[in-house]
Amino acid sequence: MADLLQFVITGTTVGMVYALIALGFVLVWKSTGVANLALGQLVLISSWFTYGMLVQAGLPFWLGFPLVVLFALALGWGIERLVLRPLIGQPILSLITVTLGVAYFLQGAVGFIWPKSVAALPSLFSQEPIHIGPAVVSQEYLWSALISLSLFGLLSLYFKYHKMGVVMRATADDQLAVQACGVPVTKIFSRSWMLACTLAAVGGILISSIGGITFGLCETGLKAFSVVILGGLDSFLGAIVAGPIIGLAENLGGGYLTPLTWPGVKEVIPFVIIIIVMFVKPYGLFGEARVERI
Amino acid sequence: MNVDLPAGTRNYSYAQDMTVFRTRTHWALLAALLVALLAAPLYSSNYWLGVGNLIGITIIAATGLNILTGYCGQLSIGHAGFIAVGAYTSVVLTNRFGVPFLAALVLAGVAAGLIGMVFGIPSLRVKGFYLAISTIAAQFIIVWVINHWTAVTGGFNGMSVPPASVGGLALVSQGSQFYLIMVTTAVAVFLAKNLARTRVGRAFVAIRDNDLAAEVMGINLFHYKLVAFFAGCFLAGVAGSLFAHWVGFVNAENFTFMDSILYVGMIIIGGLGTAVGPIFGVVFIRLLQQGITFVSPVLESAFALPAGFTTGIGPMVFGLVIILFLILEPRGLAHRWALFKASYRLWPFSY
Repeated sequence: MADLLQFVITGTTVGMVYALIALGFVLVWKSTGVANLALGQLVLISSWFTYGMLVQAGLPFWLGFPLVVLFALALGWGIERLVLRPLIGQPILSLITVTLGVAYFLQGAVGFIWPKSVAALPSLFSQEPIHIGPAVVSQEYLWSALISLSLFGLLSLYFKYHKMGVVMRATADDQLAVQACGVPVTKIFSRSWMLACTLAAVGGILISSIGGITFGLCETGLKAFSVVILGGLDSFLGAIVAGPIIGLAENLGGGYLTPLTWPGVKEVIPFVIIIIVMFVKPYGLFGEARVERI
Repeated sequence: MNVDLPAGTRNYSYAQDMTVFRTRTHWALLAALLVALLAAPLYSSNYWLGVGNLIGITIIAATGLNILTGYCGQLSIGHAGFIAVGAYTSVVLTNRFGVPFLAALVLAGVAAGLIGMVFGIPSLRVKGFYLAISTIAAQFIIVWVINHWTAVTGGFNGMSVPPASVGGLALVSQGSQFYLIMVTTAVAVFLAKNLARTRVGRAFVAIRDNDLAAEVMGINLFHYKLVAFFAGCFLAGVAGSLFAHWVGFVNAENFTFMDSILYVGMIIIGGLGTAVGPIFGVVFIRLLQQGITFVSPVLESAFALPAGFTTGIGPMVFGLVIILFLILEPRGLAHRWALFKASYRLWPFSY
């Protein structure tokens, strides 16, 4: 029973961080139509950048964190401006593969600047574990969930009330109409990428404060794909609902299936879920099934 | 204006029109290439033969991916996973069951093709990004199974592999391997070139250009997409088998997600949907790799660069090359080659 509660709590909280990263993906997909496969590497490089700021440069958190956000914004702006803007109007195959090129480049950059394979962030939250009923949970998990939830709240307010957010939603709905209304669509693209990179950075910090910085962070980014596939590519709600589901499946499966199968079953569950969703309900729980015409 | 043929050459029959090697110059160049390849072990060092072997194996794999992605338009980012299936199938068959190498080579292709078909089934209902994700999932699931199914695959420790033997003759040296690999590569490239010109190949191109229109015209999408997955992954499996017996050791480290991305990069750099594209792309990337491994330690010591330079510079350069090709020359080196041919054939009136 204690195990179950433990798995449920860790699963849901980690899943919320996945949802946060996935939200960045959905944002870019909806407003620009680009599938960002460099998500894992974005998480990786911003975690390492945080390490560089907090540990290597020894900055305090209140100074280091804004720098990380600035870095993420600059990264998003750069990727959109230098790589994706020249490719507007190209076939989807080019748009997907160019993000693979970005992924390769970022992975190389991480290997270049931070050649060590493992590092730990300084503990951002209190180390005192919290007892919830029979389960013992470290505070990182709860803080991660809390931060993710409040970011969801802020984002939904932004999309509902802020002018820019409304325009972003409109762009996602109909690019041509928005352009006709005099909105500079390229600026929206740029904003989406900047926001997506920031979400990836925050997600990266939260995940690496739980598990340290390893190359496994790339796979964390890839797990966000299973969130978007399960939730539906073009659905914010889908990402938020599917995140905890993936986290739960991963942790419950890892907890209860390991004696039945091989160890490490936890790592592969999100990918198995992708395949199952592909077979059963390819457009996800909340995704819009595309109807095409010739 | 048709510049596919040298000036003054005209086709007077369909048979002539379909010929791959049309003129005497073509045949002479082909013969020269074959002689140069066959004689390579006589004049090259072991090191460069090794590079040649790696290039040959990669060409087979990239040709497979080109059938799937270049001709049929189904993006696969799990190619390294399918190569791994072929490699392990071949190793297990030869090691444990004493299957002769050539049979194992074909069976490795079949096994990889079947696994590829399973992961290709979603391609009927989804495409583009969804399919890309499903192949990424394939990559990770395959590597995970290899790492954990210790009883068969040796797990994280990998397995040592006996050298390939053909008709009782063990191919131990780089030179003897070179012949095996080059012959297989030539056959694979030849088959792929001809597959693209058949009914099946034309169906692939129709599906790539517009799958709905293709379906309306009576092309059975499910059938042809699965055929594309089988053919593409078959060649991946063959490449995997050759790779395993060439290196003499298999381990999942050889078949990573990054490798899968690199294969996609290779066929983009070479030129999607062309027969020569994969060859150009593979030679370009592998020679670039050689150049980087040669140059980066020199640069590192000369300019006192940080320790990560040697490991990081390779991926950075490859990523940059992929991005630049997509932006500046999305049709790849094959298109440049076609332009070059057209221009020298029309010289001095090329404009």
